[in-house]
Amino acid sequence: MGRDFKTNLNNDLDLIGGVTVVKAYFDNQPEFLPQWFRPATVEALEQIKGVVRVSSVGNRGLKIMRHNKPHYIQMLAVDEAFWEVRSFWAIKGTLFGKEAIQGRKLVCVLGETAAQKIFGTLDVVGQTLEIDLDVYRVVAVLGGITVSAVNNAIFIPVTTAQDRLAGNLLVDLVYVRCETWDDVGYVASRIPKAVRTHQSADRLQVDVAWEGLKRVRRVVWWSEFFIYIALAATLILGGIGIWNVMMAAVRSRTREIGLKKAMGAEDKDILAQFLTESLTVSLSAAVLGIILGRAIIELMGLLIGQRPQEDLFFLCMILGILFGVILGVGAGLYPSLQASRMEVVSATRYE
Amino acid sequence: MSKSSANSNNNGHLVKISGLTLTYNNGEEDIPVLRNVDMNVAPGEMVAVMGPSGSGKSSLLYILGLLLSPTQGSYYLGQENALKLDRASQSAFRRTRLGFVFQSCDLIDNSTVYENLEFPLIYAGVERHERPERIRRALDKVNLAHRIYHRTNRLSGGEQQRVAVARALVNQPRLILADEPTGHLDRANSQMIMDYFGEIVSGGQTAIIIVTHDSEVAARCHRIYSLMDGVLQT
Repeated sequence: MGRDFKTNLNNDLDLIGGVTVVKAYFDNQPEFLPQWFRPATVEALEQIKGVVRVSSVGNRGLKIMRHNKPHYIQMLAVDEAFWEVRSFWAIKGTLFGKEAIQGRKLVCVLGETAAQKIFGTLDVVGQTLEIDLDVYRVVAVLGGITVSAVNNAIFIPVTTAQDRLAGNLLVDLVYVRCETWDDVGYVASRIPKAVRTHQSADRLQVDVAWEGLKRVRRVVWWSEFFIYIALAATLILGGIGIWNVMMAAVRSRTREIGLKKAMGAEDKDILAQFLTESLTVSLSAAVLGIILGRAIIELMGLLIGQRPQEDLFFLCMILGILFGVILGVGAGLYPSLQASRMEVVSATRYE
Repeated sequence: MSKSSANSNNNGHLVKISGLTLTYNNGEEDIPVLRNVDMNVAPGEMVAVMGPSGSGKSSLLYILGLLLSPTQGSYYLGQENALKLDRASQSAFRRTRLGFVFQSCDLIDNSTVYENLEFPLIYAGVERHERPERIRRALDKVNLAHRIYHRTNRLSGGEQQRVAVARALVNQPRLILADEPTGHLDRANSQMIMDYFGEIVSGGQTAIIIVTHDSEVAARCHRIYSLMDGVLQT
């Protein structure tokens, strides 16, 4: 299965748990000196082969004031990579990005439950909240969340949180997104080593959703299995079909073959004629398949709002045509050879 | 095409076969089809070969058309030892020197008159732009130019046979081999086909060998051979 396909499928599978996201954190206990991820460490994590992006996160409980009413809620101080790494998107408004991080802006994003709890509605974009005497503007409500704890959280730019919130906020958690599920094991095994190159890895914990990964792999294995079975069935049935059609054509046109040879056609002329016919059948089927595939892509694009990359489609198109050529030549060769080697006398006498 | 050594004994004959023998083996014994056949045909000559069914007439015609190899003997067409040619050269020989007219027309199904006449030109490597003119000329000779784009299955039996004659002529062959060319035709159409054959040989360049049962057809030929149990007699 191609890497592009795995990457795309992986993005889709995030909907059922994001199995390609590895979580690494320091298990900070009060009796030990606290640990956090240094910027150089985060850069080192990004260099591990198979890593797409890394997001650094700090978190703590927070008291939020709204109309003089306190709300106690989980706060995540996140960077601009967080949304992409965790596959989160906004159901209302626009998630903050690099500009808000660099500008240390007083903006926040609310999880759905948090928005409901604080405001009693999801239409909260543009509303304000008071946190540690600062006023934050709500810029978005988060969707795409499968973990209920995160659904009931507030998200603030990590730089703003470090500057403005009271106390020391430690970035002691990173999410590492791997390119495919095949990379997860390797990336997880390399994280401690990458951390140790810049700091102590004491009390570093690396969590992988092994059970989810196993399930995904099983689904993919079966998908691959059925794809290969379908390919083999297409090859065999298509090949037999073309072979049959060509054998019937050769038989029904035996006199024509004899006549053409009597007119001076060489063996290679007859071979070329029937191979061309066989190729025409298989390539027509390939073109029909491509048109049908394109139509399904367009239709699914309209229905689910997602479509494969164009270059992946063109690759499939080229493979389809190549497959058609191989099938046409493979299945048409024997009947064509039979036609070309036919003896003229018996062919012209054939009834 | 390999050239044989010059045949000094051709004496201006277009076709010269000598000592031609054809034997089939049915698994148990050799069955003679042609026995020591000699035959000479000059350019401009129309020759009939008559004989009962199974006498070896068609086999002789197939050997002359290089569609069948004899057991022994020699066959010269002009200066060329035709039996020494390899498979590809035989095909080239057929498309440049020979024209066939079969008993049952044998036009290619689902094709037009034009397409039927175009095939020999394609195999002979005639340029696409030259083909329409040559096809029209060949059809003119059999008075069918007005049917050029008609489907062959829409033509009458006589017209179909005239198309088959035109197809045999289109590459201007030296030798036309006709197997019962009037076998399925009425008297008027048979007469017409024989008139065309007469015109063709009157040019003095082309010879025609006709295998026939019809004594009226044979009577229109310059010479008549009789084939009986594989033995050819004049």
